[in-house]
Amino acid sequence: MKFEEAVKKSIKKFLDGSVPEETDAQTEGGIYYTPDYFDAMEESLKETSDKE
Amino acid sequence: MTPFKGPIPGANHTSDTRNYPWHRPPDIVGFDEGVEYLMKKLAEPESTELTFSLLQMDMPIASVCNVMLRQLVSKGKIGIDLAILLAGPLARYIEIIANDNGIKHEMGVENKNRIAITPTMLKISMGIVDDDDEEPVVEAAPEDDSAGLMAPPGAEEAVTEAATETQDEMLGLMENEEEEQV
Repeated sequence: MKFEEAVKKSIKKFLDGSVPEETDAQTEGGIYYTPDYFDAMEESLKETSDKE
Repeated sequence: MTPFKGPIPGANHTSDTRNYPWHRPPDIVGFDEGVEYLMKKLAEPESTELTFSLLQMDMPIASVCNVMLRQLVSKGKIGIDLAILLAGPLARYIEIIANDNGIKHEMGVENKNRIAITPTMLKISMGIVDDDDEEPVVEAAPEDDSAGLMAPPGAEEAVTEAATETQDEMLGLMENEEEEQV
């Protein structure tokens, strides 16, 4: 598999809500930057822009 | 070089020798640390301008991520495995800031080779055949009875053996006999 294909596959998995399981298990407290984190970030940015 | 004289796999990571950046241990090894670095990097005006310019040139986000991650690997900032893991968060972050700035973008991870599901395809897979979908019956063209020059001999045209006299005549034997008689 080429690097470009691996990148695409990784992006697709992350957008589908998956996180790297082994990395998550080995990180103390789990991964911080999860798909949920980015969803929350998007929401807060939308709210901020709506207020403005 | 004999197989036993070469370096063992991974020797480059333990060596102090200054060679290519990606041959040395990477600067960033943690997932969260990597994401933070990328977010800070994208917050720099030059990086933001470049990213937005590429997106406005209809470059997919996946390709932008590919370029950025390759650059970081080549500089020895991150390892190639971590680069692949960081592609997802990086793409999502770019998508968010592009949306926030009203920049049209395309993710570029859709599978274009996928066969689209259509009602006709579903009907065929389920074995449902409508009257409209039936193929028109094509009548068989009448066979041409006229035998051409190169047509094979039919059953009716069985080859009949010529009479012995005819065969001798064709072979020129008859003339010789006549001459002999004269």
